[in-house]
Amino acid sequence: MAQIRLKNVSKRWNNFVGVDNFNLDIADQEFLVLLGPSGCGKTTTMRMIAGLEDITEGEIWIGDRLVNKLEPKDRDISMVFQSYGLYPNMTVYENIRFPLKVRKVPQDQHHERVMAASKMVELDDFLQRRPAALSGGQRQRVALARAIVREPNAFLMDEPLSNLDAKLRVSTRAQIKNLHHTLKRTTIYVTHDQIEAMTLADRVVVMSKGLIQQVGTPMEIYDRPANTFVASFIGSPAMNLVHGNIADGVFTGDKIRIEGLSKATNGAVTLGFRAEDATLAEGQGQIEAPIYSVELLGEATMISMRVAGELVSIKVGKDYRAEIGDSAKFNVPPAACHLFDRTSGARIVAD
Amino acid sequence: MSYATLTQKRPLPLNLLISLFIILWVVLAAFPFFWTVWGSFKVEPDFFSRESWWNAIFGTYTQAQTGGTFTGDGYYGAWVTREFWRAVMNTAIVTVSVTVISLTLGTLGGYALARSGQRYAFWILIAALVFRAMPHITLVSGYLLPFFQLNIWGVLPTSIIVLVAINQPFTLWMLHSFFLSIPKDLDESAMVDGCTRFQAFRMVIIPVMWPGVVTTGLFSFLLAYNDFATTSMLLSADNQTMVPKISSFLGSVQEAGNVMYAVAAVVSATVPLFILVLFFQRQIVSGLTAGAVKG
Amino acid sequence: MPHKTFFAFILPSLIAMVLFIALPIVSVVVQSFHVEHQRVLVEVENCQPFGGCTTEVRVDTAAMAKIRAEQPMGMFNGLGTYFNRGHLAVAEVGAILSNNAGFGDAVSRIYNLPFYKALSFTLVFCFVVTPLAMVLGFTIALAVNAVPRAIKGPVIFFSLLPMIITPLIGSLILYWMIQSNGIIGATLQNIFDDPTLSLRQSPALTWGSLLFYGVWTNAPFSFVVFYAGLQTVPGDTLESAMIDGASRWERIRYVIIPHLAPLATFVALVQLMDNFRVFEPIVGFSAESNATSLSWLIFNDLSGDSQLFGSAGATSVITIIGVVILLSPVLVRTWREFNHKVV
Repeated sequence: MAQIRLKNVSKRWNNFVGVDNFNLDIADQEFLVLLGPSGCGKTTTMRMIAGLEDITEGEIWIGDRLVNKLEPKDRDISMVFQSYGLYPNMTVYENIRFPLKVRKVPQDQHHERVMAASKMVELDDFLQRRPAALSGGQRQRVALARAIVREPNAFLMDEPLSNLDAKLRVSTRAQIKNLHHTLKRTTIYVTHDQIEAMTLADRVVVMSKGLIQQVGTPMEIYDRPANTFVASFIGSPAMNLVHGNIADGVFTGDKIRIEGLSKATNGAVTLGFRAEDATLAEGQGQIEAPIYSVELLGEATMISMRVAGELVSIKVGKDYRAEIGDSAKFNVPPAACHLFDRTSGARIVAD
Repeated sequence: MSYATLTQKRPLPLNLLISLFIILWVVLAAFPFFWTVWGSFKVEPDFFSRESWWNAIFGTYTQAQTGGTFTGDGYYGAWVTREFWRAVMNTAIVTVSVTVISLTLGTLGGYALARSGQRYAFWILIAALVFRAMPHITLVSGYLLPFFQLNIWGVLPTSIIVLVAINQPFTLWMLHSFFLSIPKDLDESAMVDGCTRFQAFRMVIIPVMWPGVVTTGLFSFLLAYNDFATTSMLLSADNQTMVPKISSFLGSVQEAGNVMYAVAAVVSATVPLFILVLFFQRQIVSGLTAGAVKG
Repeated sequence: MPHKTFFAFILPSLIAMVLFIALPIVSVVVQSFHVEHQRVLVEVENCQPFGGCTTEVRVDTAAMAKIRAEQPMGMFNGLGTYFNRGHLAVAEVGAILSNNAGFGDAVSRIYNLPFYKALSFTLVFCFVVTPLAMVLGFTIALAVNAVPRAIKGPVIFFSLLPMIITPLIGSLILYWMIQSNGIIGATLQNIFDDPTLSLRQSPALTWGSLLFYGVWTNAPFSFVVFYAGLQTVPGDTLESAMIDGASRWERIRYVIIPHLAPLATFVALVQLMDNFRVFEPIVGFSAESNATSLSWLIFNDLSGDSQLFGSAGATSVITIIGVVILLSPVLVRTWREFNHKVV
């Protein structure tokens, strides 16, 4: 049973700040995803929890133990590495068994537990091979099996899917989700892929430049991004962000004019809306601009156009036909619009 | 690969030139050895012949003096009469001990250097680089007085320890760059799996490091084997290893007209190196380039 | 890695280096400031029944032993050893510079001072052998890269021999061949029809043969490194150079050589470092009358009957300074790179 608590955790190298004043409580059995672009401090945060990186400031608690000074082996966690960290000189069986061996788990339990773990990740047929003779997906599953064989307090996973091809990624993702459901362990998962974050997480922590940008369920983060960074990081395509001015509930910018917004704010703002929220307009449109590109996605068509200097994406029906250069008109329902402060990028709460 | 395929379309004269050049170089590189090996089975007037080097090939004087075209007199003289076998034994003791101790210290140290990003690790590497460039004889001049006073001059263990120390900078650099090529993930997952740092090193890293250890060991061996400056100054006449022994041989046998003893000793000392290259060519090449790639 | 673990791992190796490299350097520096004790002389009167008395000057061995025991280093001499005739020879060089018959005369007189003689050979050896060996090594690498795979292995095997061979033994092997009664020496005498021709007699020929030995033993290293580098030349770049119309030579000049340039710096540095300590070939070639090196000077001081620790120490310190100067470009570069990496 392990909650993990990070209190004012910071990591600095000389003048470089890796993680700045990180505060978070992770509930027992929660699946928490740390999401952010590379260099945002998410991996560093996880490595501090694992004990692979010193903590410059702050406290980390696992369960009711302060673990700041504990060696990785004494924290009772297991970890799946980005490049798996399999022991090339050992067979799959020996790899999975290694944690039991070095932790002096009684010999007679080894075989049973290794077999149980390998069954869970469907590795039974490969136990006598060495990692070099396995495919990427199989290696990945060895790493998973090695992590679960010991039933630790918490699982840490550092971009475990990033070395797999797209198809395998989807199936392994499902497998990880299922394992979490079966084993019911606190899991911390680091990724830069927002789709992984959305599909796997109970809660997502979006990070940038060492700071937490937003913590919330996937839906909260998608529906109410706390700032322009989160807005532009989540969703595919990312939220359209257009600079303009708002006065009296009317947003205006180059080739765009939207009425009926909140009257609480006036002045320079950034307006955000998602590609799928825009609708084709009959007659007068709120957005009116020449088409820059047309991409057929199969289930829909994505068109883009230049609005207020930014390239804006809009999702339309799959039967929509237009040529590059044609003028197109769209409406965006005011309820689907998000307003952000132009300078700080923070969400403007309308009420 | 593609480089090889596309250079195959060469004009004939260029191909001839290349072949000629390679033959020339191979002769230049290898002929001295074969000549000396061949000559070591002759008598002195044949191998050192003012008249004609055909004598060395046909063994004219060898025939006249010993009755056969080949003679093992040089070897008998060197190994038995002048007790070269003692030097061989000493060399074996010194080189094996130096290699084993160097590798033990070097793997530990090289691993620490490769895994620590601290500033002091960098300074240790730089100091090692400077030490590596130091001519060994300059250090020897620092050893003699203290060794005389401590009364440890002249014996094998002293030379072994000194050679290990002289060897350390190089060993550290080389193993350090081999360790760098092993992903950090490996020791980290071992530590998460329940190992201490040392267990991770012993159970996970060393099994993967064997090729690097073997290669570095070869170079440690060569350094100890080829050393002349240190061993010739630090070993007493009774304890000499092969190379200083040959050097001290040289003066005395030339006067006695037994140069062939020295030639035989030289050939004997070359044989292990031949065998080494024969079996470990790949490791030697990879060792030289490992250092180069890491700069 | 925590500090404690780091030092636990590196301690044995660190102790070895401090005890047997760092301390000896200190000891060398201290020695260089001392000279051997002057001999304590006593006058002994020697009277014989009929021949009267003669006084004789003798070394007082008992007193000498006592002084040696008290001060094993010898007498303090400050920088005296550094400036004496055997080393930097400040006074002599000054005299030569102020009073000489032209530039050539000055150079040749300075050259005759033992330290400068050794220094000039050491530097010439360094800076002639290194580039020549690199050019030869590069050419061999290009050639070997062009031959069929089956031949490469044996060629590499034979190429390694001159490098792997013990320097003293390698130089002896060559020396025996170029001696006037060795195969090459005798052949040269025949070709030039000059029975007195000997590579040992003239300084120029001795230098030449030492330099030849240097190239012979250094070239394989460049060869191997460059050969490995050639395997990593990007095929795409070469092919696009061909499509762009580059000739064979232009491809070498504009694609291969730039690709190998970083390796060349590395090779040059390693070989400069190794050649700066040139020593064994001088012993092997018995060349000391025509060519000496800094390392040989130290060896000579130490191996005589009276071991001149002060003199050896001074030469060693000067040599070490030379090494540091030689290394300074790398040290500066490494330092910059390291700072880059951290920030």
